[in-house]
Amino acid sequence: MKVGIPRGLLYDQYHPFFTRFFTELGAELAVSPPTNRAILDAGIQCCVDEACLPVKVFHGHVSCLKAQCDLLFIPRIMRLYRGEYICPKFCGLPEMVLNSIYGLPETITEPFYADSMAGLRKWALRTGSRITRDRRRIKAALEAAIAEQLRFKTGYDDQGYPIRVALAGHPYNLYDTFINMNVRKKLNQLGIGVVTEESADEEEMAPEVAALFKKPFWTFARKTYGFIAASVARGRVQGVVYISSFACGIDSVILELVRDRIGDFPMLVLKIDEHTGEAGVDTRIEAFADMLERSGRVEDHHSPHGQCLSCCESPV
Amino acid sequence: MKITIPHMGNVYLAAKALFDGLGVDYVIPPMNSKAALEIGSFHSPEEICLPFKIMVGNYIQAIEQGADTVIITGSCGPCRFGEYCEMQMKLLRRLGYQVDFIVIDAPKCIGLKELMARIARVAAASPRSRAQKWRALAQAVRIMNLLDAIEAKAHEKAGYEKVRGTCKRLLHACRQEAFRCKTPREMLRCLHEYSRRLDQVPCDNSAKPIRIAIIGEIYTVIEPFSNLYIEDKLMDYGISTKRMMTPSWWMGNTIMSPLKINSPGIRMASRDYLPYYIGGHARECVGEAVLSWKEGFDGAIQIFPMGCMPEIVSKAILPAIARDKDFPVLSLVVDEMTGEAGYVTRIEAFIDMLERRRSHAVSRH
Repeated sequence: MKVGIPRGLLYDQYHPFFTRFFTELGAELAVSPPTNRAILDAGIQCCVDEACLPVKVFHGHVSCLKAQCDLLFIPRIMRLYRGEYICPKFCGLPEMVLNSIYGLPETITEPFYADSMAGLRKWALRTGSRITRDRRRIKAALEAAIAEQLRFKTGYDDQGYPIRVALAGHPYNLYDTFINMNVRKKLNQLGIGVVTEESADEEEMAPEVAALFKKPFWTFARKTYGFIAASVARGRVQGVVYISSFACGIDSVILELVRDRIGDFPMLVLKIDEHTGEAGVDTRIEAFADMLERSGRVEDHHSPHGQCLSCCESPV
Repeated sequence: MKITIPHMGNVYLAAKALFDGLGVDYVIPPMNSKAALEIGSFHSPEEICLPFKIMVGNYIQAIEQGADTVIITGSCGPCRFGEYCEMQMKLLRRLGYQVDFIVIDAPKCIGLKELMARIARVAAASPRSRAQKWRALAQAVRIMNLLDAIEAKAHEKAGYEKVRGTCKRLLHACRQEAFRCKTPREMLRCLHEYSRRLDQVPCDNSAKPIRIAIIGEIYTVIEPFSNLYIEDKLMDYGISTKRMMTPSWWMGNTIMSPLKINSPGIRMASRDYLPYYIGGHARECVGEAVLSWKEGFDGAIQIFPMGCMPEIVSKAILPAIARDKDFPVLSLVVDEMTGEAGYVTRIEAFIDMLERRRSHAVSRH
């Protein structure tokens, strides 16, 4: 039995769990290669036009894997924390893939609730029974997978740079160096270190999130907003770089909340989609780096909007 | 306290009746128009969905007329609508408007006590007795149900009427006259009268009009301005339309959903294609497509605002339904940039296609 795992969406964050789980069950694994041009093109071809870039890339990974496995794993991640969602597209991801790509092998699409042990066990039993009948083995595989995931640390925390910025956005936009054109490397080359939300303290984020009128119901929104607000408020970073995929519904909300919270603190929003040209991205990053560097040298306050916002009462 | 609400189809009429019955001060914002949309899209974040922008336009126009309290409903995700209240409050505050928001949110995310406290704020503004308040609420609910029934009747009969345009004229006259009514009682009487007049519209029962189901995102299907008055256009073409999403359906569905006994028909119909609730009304959209195929409709038109997350999922599924059931579905995406000419061309082409399918005996009619 060969289980195919597409290297898309939350793979970068949760691959220890999923790979360990399936190998413990005795399945052979087929993982798609890191995103490349061919995968992106395949994804664009079969995916519904309105979807965001990461979802298109995921489709590409699936169509690259479909001939190489007997059982295809399409994660339907419903919930990672109690009372929070990921994104509607994650909940409907299997349906999007199944109805857009032809010639798929059998698929695993069980809903994945990681907010309780009972939810995880239910998922593991249903998924595992497709591979083995041994319930004890499935339980052991789940334990091993959870332990493996807890040992896994991800995220960037660059030290030794004169300027540090918060690199924010959905994990699949941050860690897929093909679709974000390796923004981290570009920033590092300009002498800017990056920090991501994994390095932030949950306890610092909580009061920032609690100050909102309504508790955000998306995990991404809670973490990203909390991370940016906390690191700006505590002066840990000199700027914010936000990588956002075009037409991302969640980002449109997070960015608005963040802007409202941090005011005219320097923030660069990089929109990425399947057409993004690298030259334009380079120019924008260089301009942002120049601005950060100068604001350190010149005492006057430089606004990122091109006008001195601190002079006028209302920013609009 | 001067209350206002954002527009969504005929909800303003029921709201007017409720506030009249409660005896509270209110402003109904000017009907949705280019002006409201322009104000809204000027101030709103660029990538937010269309309903947000129109609603912001409504608030600002209402505030100019003296409103100081906004009542909106909420939700707990995963669709963006749940975050509207937070963003709109901050946006209006930043623009320098002093407005209060009363967010009627589901008890499961704010708690029943908080919900009751919020409703009590509205009730406290009313000088009437408790019994009168309940009566006002009951009348408003009846008005909403009646309005939806009248609308559904007019849309269906438009395909059968002997004199083209009778139903449409009656429907518009009904809305105008209802808006002029001073009390809920008067409005109910007016609506009953129009319902009766619609029943009496001379019809050709042997006609076999094209029948289309309108499905998709709830705001853009209910609010005619946001979908460029698609139902009126289809009535002009002599097409019988049906739309399941109505404010009264929403009320019933919301009350039933904690018990998981809401919309059994949609649950059954969508089981093969989308067996989970993924937020927004994606599952309803898929279920309605299957149901309208079962009910013998010629086709369905899906409408959603650009970037709507749940409807993107259903748009990916609809072609599979179209293929499996041989049931044509047209997806229309609307935003503030939608041009009417291109939009109409697509609708006309779709209708032509449905007509030709009949004459070539491809369809089941």
